[in-house]
Amino acid sequence: MTIIRKASAFEILNHWVLAASFFILAISGFGFLFHLEQLNAVFGSFNVMKDVHNYAGLVFTASLILTIFHYLPVSLKFGADDIAWFLKGGGYLSKKAKVPPQDELNAGQKLYYIVILLSGLAIAASGFAVWLRPQVPDIRKLVVLSHLVHNIAFDLMIIAVPLHIYLATLANPGTLRIMITGTVPLEWAKKRHAKWVQRIGY
Amino acid sequence: MARKALLISPELCIGCRGCQTACKSWNRLPATKTVNKGSAENPPDLTPNLYNKIRYVEMPSNSNTVRWLFVSQRCMHCDDAGCIKICPAPGALFKTKEGAVGFDKDKCIGCKLCVAGCPFDVPRYDEKDKVSKCHLCSDRIAEGLMPACAKTCPTGAIAYGDRDAIIGKAQKAGYQKLYGQTDLGGLGIMYAFKDTPKVYGMDESPAIPETIVFWHKVLKPLAYWGLGGAAAVSLLHYLVIGPKKDEGGE
Ligand code: HEM
Ligand code: HEM
Ligand code: SF4
Ligand code: SF4
Repeated sequence: MTIIRKASAFEILNHWVLAASFFILAISGFGFLFHLEQLNAVFGSFNVMKDVHNYAGLVFTASLILTIFHYLPVSLKFGADDIAWFLKGGGYLSKKAKVPPQDELNAGQKLYYIVILLSGLAIAASGFAVWLRPQVPDIRKLVVLSHLVHNIAFDLMIIAVPLHIYLATLANPGTLRIMITGTVPLEWAKKRHAKWVQRIGY
Repeated sequence: MARKALLISPELCIGCRGCQTACKSWNRLPATKTVNKGSAENPPDLTPNLYNKIRYVEMPSNSNTVRWLFVSQRCMHCDDAGCIKICPAPGALFKTKEGAVGFDKDKCIGCKLCVAGCPFDVPRYDEKDKVSKCHLCSDRIAEGLMPACAKTCPTGAIAYGDRDAIIGKAQKAGYQKLYGQTDLGGLGIMYAFKDTPKVYGMDESPAIPETIVFWHKVLKPLAYWGLGGAAAVSLLHYLVIGPKKDEGGE
């Protein structure tokens, strides 16, 4: 069985930094939204949780920017096969469904990346605006707007990420190892990422 | 406990600022250095060490050289308070049983969202980034005393009492509706204006920023239901359709 590499060690490390910082941000964010005082058992106090949230935001932002090199080029290549993939529901609507050949990321993964990138940048920019209060003519207006943006982006992410986790684990056996060892069997890749496999010369 | 309130009557105010001093004295707030900006209004704005102040409005007048309006300015102790709504730290801002909006600097995390959420631009933050504003002398009123400003006022321009009683009295005195009687669920500071609110430097119809209301009603529950929904859809898909199996793949 031929094994091929799909993710580099750095890509894997960065993915888990992104995921870990996201979990910290999302949990503390939920704490702020719903006044979850139970979280004091984890963070100690809301004062500590605020600092953790803010500095985890720094890590998240840095990690998100690094993903651009890994996923943006392929995600921007959106063609007829991607549209056809969506029209077929990604093959997830029935056991027998067949989908057109996909690139290194399938159409759904491309869309997911674009959603994470845009909402991630929006949540970071708005978070920093609230945190650091830049010198602007009307800071109250900027904070009200940032609060809105921060929360819209959060809603998008809190829906997208669980679906991503499901699709990367239970729904697609054999996918998770990409973010552990970075490799997949050639046969597996041919079925799911035919265009990519062809492009890299197999 | 009946909701307490202040009734401000600008026409009774002589601009002595005894209320400002009494407030500083009771709340142990230090004086702040200010600059003369060509008006007797001083300091020019609320600060973390100035919970209330008199706004000086100079109007042209036919009967006098000038018409002076003195308007007490401070936290309005809103029933539907934007500051409490937006605050992410439990207990940092809270309602007392008298209807005052109090604060707890230890619980405040210094995010300053309340500064943006308040329709009246009231909350300030101190050098440690902690919230600071009028709390209607909630420590005094809990003991049955009146707020320091009302106690000091020599003319009755700041009157303290049960909110319902104040409204009843004002109606008998010929005021159909006080400023703040119904705004934001009813303010704890009401004004007996003889002219439009604008003349006194007040917003005609104060409101919590729309996006904050939208966030509270839609975006906040969506975070909860969105997470649950995504998890439920995943589980349902797993049970009904099941994972993608590649024959010979794994
Ligand atoms: C990237 C940099 C980020 C920064 C600088 C940041 C900053 C902030 C700030 C300043 C607040 C207000 C409360 C506080 O001061 O803690 C806040 C609230 C919140 N943040 Fe973030 N954040 C960031 C990223 C994120 C991310 C990635 C998420 C989601 C996973 C998130 C979710 C939330 C939520 C849900 C709230 C509570 C909303 C509210 O009460 O309005 N934040 N954030
Ligand atoms: C326990 C949680 C998670 C697991 C098991 C997981 C798993 C994976 C796996 C296996 C891949 C590789 C897919 C492929 O190359 O075909 C991947 C990609 C990716 N992950 Fe995660 N992930 C998790 C959490 C997160 C979080 C929290 C984020 C972002 C907030 C995230 C963002 C991404 C992105 C942007 C990609 C690349 C684009 C894509 O594959 O759609 N992941 N993840
Ligand atoms: S006036 Fe502002 S600070 Fe005072 S209770 Fe209303 S919203 Fe809060
Ligand atoms: S600054 Fe303090 S009181 Fe104001 S919203 Fe933030 S935590 Fe609440």
